[in-house]
Amino acid sequence: MTNYDKLRELIQDILLLEPGEYSLGLGRGDVPTWDSLAVVSIAVGLDETFGQHPSPDEATGLKSVADIVAFLESRGLSFSD
Amino acid sequence: MGMLTLTDVELSQDIGCLDRAWAADATFALVPARSSVPREWVMDALRRLPEPWRQGHFALLTSGSTGQPKLIVGLRQRAEALARLLDQVQSGAAAAATVVALPLTYCYAFVNQWLWSRVLGRRLILTQGFGEPESLRVVLAQARDTMLCLVGAQVPLLRRGMPDAVFPGVVRLHFAGGAFPQEHLDFLSDRFPNALIFNNYGCAEAMPRLTLRGAAASEQGANIGWPLPGIALTAGADGRLLFRSPFAAVGVVDAAGIHAFSPDEWVESGDLAVPTADGSWVLSGRSNEVFKRYGEKVSLAQLIGSVRLVWVGEAAFYRETDRQGEQGAVLVLAPSPSADELRRVLSALRAEYPRPHWPLRIEGADVLPRLPSGKIDNLRLAALERRAIVWKQRI
Repeated sequence: MTNYDKLRELIQDILLLEPGEYSLGLGRGDVPTWDSLAVVSIAVGLDETFGQHPSPDEATGLKSVADIVAFLESRGLSFSD
Repeated sequence: MGMLTLTDVELSQDIGCLDRAWAADATFALVPARSSVPREWVMDALRRLPEPWRQGHFALLTSGSTGQPKLIVGLRQRAEALARLLDQVQSGAAAAATVVALPLTYCYAFVNQWLWSRVLGRRLILTQGFGEPESLRVVLAQARDTMLCLVGAQVPLLRRGMPDAVFPGVVRLHFAGGAFPQEHLDFLSDRFPNALIFNNYGCAEAMPRLTLRGAAASEQGANIGWPLPGIALTAGADGRLLFRSPFAAVGVVDAAGIHAFSPDEWVESGDLAVPTADGSWVLSGRSNEVFKRYGEKVSLAQLIGSVRLVWVGEAAFYRETDRQGEQGAVLVLAPSPSADELRRVLSALRAEYPRPHWPLRIEGADVLPRLPSGKIDNLRLAALERRAIVWKQRI
């Protein structure tokens, strides 16, 4: 499973996305389930899935899937596949 | 005959012992055979009864929702009067017999079925219930003009164990013991095509019935209908449902001692409920199953109601605290859901509730543990050995 697949599963699982809702462009205002508790859940999920735990400030700054990909790439993970 | 205890196993072997106990003066107690409460506790409670309660009464042992043993003491004359009243208010479908698929130590089956058959001279047909589903199926298939009493938690067993069976001889079908299985109403109407279907509500302290509604009178499973004649309901502090009933128990014996209900006392039903404009009442949960989570008021009864709209198997919650120290609950489904079934459950949660209401986890299990009454044993859920996490929150 690629990092992209792992991230998609994680975000779908946390935000309870319906099929077709997930995309790199998905952002905080696009689905009601991306609430403040989801921000915490995503931070915990990134740690569990990728071993990368964003700081509180970093977590607050993750406002889209693209932001999360950029954060993980900044920690050395590849999303090129 | 001195004070004695009778278990559902003893009753299934010789139902005559219950007739003899009822005809005798001495107060006796009905005790679930699988109860973890020592028989000595029950005998001690009987010995402690006040003198007026030692004759002409009967007692039922309960411990289901709290795990703490409690002996509910009823007056036989009141119970007989309630059995007659029940027959009058449900007389639209005259039943000549009743098939017993619940333990007779369960207050609902005891009054609705055994006592009803004794007082009105109707036939009592004993079975081992869903413990022997094929025997139950045969009895129901041969039944004529028969009343059947079930609890909602038995419907998934009915769907699984007898998926194609039709029982035209059942003319009255009653449900009690929690929210009415409204989501299964079409299935029940198909399988019991000639039955009037009722939602009954009550509690052991009510000995046992408080309200009645026809199944089609509401689309809400949590709607318990209207109080029976002579019974009054009111909402107390925090929405606690209280009742006054001329048929109620005379008192209880528990670890705190003996409590006699006074005639003007509002007695706790153990549930939360709100009245509606048409005079019916809607349950919002057990008093101990509503809690605050991240500032949101969470009702496990409402959540279960939503889950059951999209899930035909068994479902129950147990309570747990999350890693932030907030109260929460774990949803257990049986049998374990497929990926599509899980998605439907999660979609329903997302559509109806904000995140604080969602369960901490969803677990799949082969079967859920049950109380002797047939209801799900929520206290034993957390200790189930064969269960697997199928979804979890990360907070």
